[in-house]
Amino acid sequence: MNPSALIALSGIVFLVLFSLSLFLFIVVRRLVTDWQKDRFEKSYRRIENDILQAISLGQADVSSRIAARHKHHLSVLTRVLLDYGDLLTGEGRTQLQIIFDRTIRNRCLKSLNSRRTIRRLQNARLFVIFFSRQDKEVLLRLLQDKPIIKLAVLTALSRIPSPEMMNFLFQAFEQDPGSASRIYFNIMFSLGTRVESLLREYLRKPLPIEKVGLLVELAGAIPVRSVWEEIVRLASHPEKEIRIKVARALGNLLIPETAESLIALASDQAWEVQTQALKSLGKLKNPQTVEILVKALFSPHWYVRYSAAQALAEIGETGLHRLKEVAAQEEDRYARDMSVMILNELVQFPGAS
Amino acid sequence: MIEMLSAALRTINIVILTYFFLVNGFYILFNLLSLHGLFHYRHLTTYIRFKEIFRLPLVKPISIIAPAYNEENTIIESTRSLLSLEYPNFEVIVVNDGSKDRTLEKLIRFFHLEKTKRVFRKIVDHQPVRGIYASPLYPRLVVVDKVNGKKADALNAGLNISRFPLFCAVDSDSLLEKDALLKMVRPFLEEPEKTVAAGGIIRLSNGCAIKNGQLVRVGMPGNTLARFQIIEYLRAFLGGRTGLSKLNSLLIISGAFGLFRKDVVLQCGGYRKGTVGEDMDLVIRLRRHLHEMKKPYAIRFIPDPICWTEAPESLRLLARQRNRWHRGLVDCLLYNSKMLFNPRYGVTGFVAMPFYFFFEMLGPIIEVLGYLMFAACLFFNLVDFPFALLFFLVAVIMGILLSLISLLLQEFSSHRYPRLKDILIITLFSFFENIVYRQWLAVVRVRAFYDFFRGKTEWGAMERKGFAITR
Repeated sequence: MNPSALIALSGIVFLVLFSLSLFLFIVVRRLVTDWQKDRFEKSYRRIENDILQAISLGQADVSSRIAARHKHHLSVLTRVLLDYGDLLTGEGRTQLQIIFDRTIRNRCLKSLNSRRTIRRLQNARLFVIFFSRQDKEVLLRLLQDKPIIKLAVLTALSRIPSPEMMNFLFQAFEQDPGSASRIYFNIMFSLGTRVESLLREYLRKPLPIEKVGLLVELAGAIPVRSVWEEIVRLASHPEKEIRIKVARALGNLLIPETAESLIALASDQAWEVQTQALKSLGKLKNPQTVEILVKALFSPHWYVRYSAAQALAEIGETGLHRLKEVAAQEEDRYARDMSVMILNELVQFPGAS
Repeated sequence: MIEMLSAALRTINIVILTYFFLVNGFYILFNLLSLHGLFHYRHLTTYIRFKEIFRLPLVKPISIIAPAYNEENTIIESTRSLLSLEYPNFEVIVVNDGSKDRTLEKLIRFFHLEKTKRVFRKIVDHQPVRGIYASPLYPRLVVVDKVNGKKADALNAGLNISRFPLFCAVDSDSLLEKDALLKMVRPFLEEPEKTVAAGGIIRLSNGCAIKNGQLVRVGMPGNTLARFQIIEYLRAFLGGRTGLSKLNSLLIISGAFGLFRKDVVLQCGGYRKGTVGEDMDLVIRLRRHLHEMKKPYAIRFIPDPICWTEAPESLRLLARQRNRWHRGLVDCLLYNSKMLFNPRYGVTGFVAMPFYFFFEMLGPIIEVLGYLMFAACLFFNLVDFPFALLFFLVAVIMGILLSLISLLLQEFSSHRYPRLKDILIITLFSFFENIVYRQWLAVVRVRAFYDFFRGKTEWGAMERKGFAITR
């Protein structure tokens, strides 16, 4: 046999063996994972029953006994604690804390120092849920960790709306140099109006534009009506993105005193700002703004016309009356068509608007 | 004379052998990268509850654009599937591209559609719109009826009519999983300024059961051709695209399921008309545009959001589909050939374009040339039979190995085929795939070159059986 054929033959033998072992690996892995899943579910149900019993009895000694009983099933116990730790507050949580402290706590803290990202990740969420004050340093260290771990920690933080945790959150937001700002937004949003005082404080701080924009959006999205003065102050911000966000947020806050700022934004040089301001004016339902909206219906920008027409429809009778007038005129067909479309949608498809 | 011929044949054989090892080397590299990418993604989704984050208000609304041409058998189920997606704010725009069957009629009757006087901006050009319909019962749904202008034209019409900053292009014969949009939007949340497009996995719905526009049972199709295609899709999406995405070299986001930033797509002029590979063309032009503008960008492939689509089950239809795909590939690569080995286009010019050009586009030619060489050697009695046989076996086993790696990736990622029997079937078919099917496909794709240079731009009708509906 020539050398090239010999090489090819060796290649075949290698490939056949490799393929066979890969196939066997897939099959065996599937069998093992199915079996493990089944076993995990059985253990989960058993531990879950015990934990529910501990929560309903609310006695520390029962919780300690349960912790001792399940201290050898740490992976299942971790999952149950994660699931219930997310859901519970008050006395029920105290019992979970006891079980955590007696079983997983030490291992969890140790794993947070692991070199392996995945191990740190697995334990970060659990750690934050059952966080106690003496571990403050560890928490701060985790917030400086890789983005994926920081994300897990932040997500877990949103579950614990204590003032201290919220302070951590805002501090981390301020110090974060990366692109994770939007994740902070989502977490702060889930905390609702509890962030009011911190939000006011941080809106007054000289933060980078992206962060200011997110805080403005946050105020509008929750909404936190009491910070309207801080928002209005940003209406003349040189950055277009900030003005867009201010216009949008004011539409959600619905404070009558903000109408003047919105009217000014409705004649902003950027059409995107105008669009948002017009939408917000519509939400305010202030009949005195009708003429401004009608004027905007004749704008050369499609979105400005669209928002103006929608806002007029939203204002009610006066707005609709003017919308019909524009729909009947022939001088500007773009304004007419837009008015006809919105009126038509209102009649035909009330759900769509 | 014979000696010269023999030397020439030997040289060609060496070229083909080198090519074989290079292409398989690349595929193995992509599979390894995919394995790494899938592990990372799995851990990310296990320990972080994205669903909670995504339901919050910063998530941008999405316009789903579904062009439809003669889709009367699947249009109702697929539209219902799109309307039942879990996402905070979206609209579904079905564009009836001048269907000759009852597609529009069925839509109007089932969804109680009424003609509207909706106005829109014509930013990108398309064939005239005959009517825009909406339904008082389904406020998210908009149906556009327009003169036939092919898929790219229909997508452009949808782009003009859409109202949201992100748009998702889907095929109207496809079904999206309920949380597909939530998963797909992740990169747009993480890197909102950078991410311009994201693609998900396409899987075959043949053999699966559908209820209320949702896939309720994953099954293995009985049809042999569909089984071969299951393996191909696994290899292409899990083994290929995940790996290419890791190298930031993804040039295709399937037209059946892709999410894009509308402003950037409009800057590129929307979909290019006259091409049958509009999905690939758009991604290449996006890359080209963003490189030329020197803007940092990301085009991501997410291995989890799944779109189910019906695969052709007859040789005639499959040949038509593959011919169209290959014509599209040739067209897109030649149209953007200035990017090839051009340092201005970074990794796209030096990795993605050469890979697609030399391995994906020219691959079938080299393969068929190899078979012809074998025939020529046989004719001139120059065949080294033991070596030829061994080489053939290496090729077959390599094919099986790549399929098995994709299967392994599937096991690591989503575990969609629940029965052990399915794994056995896939393995068995990955063997038979290499015997006749592969050679036939190579010939079909070579034929596509002929059709392309002859100027053929037809799509060729796909006859849909419709989804297997469970009541």
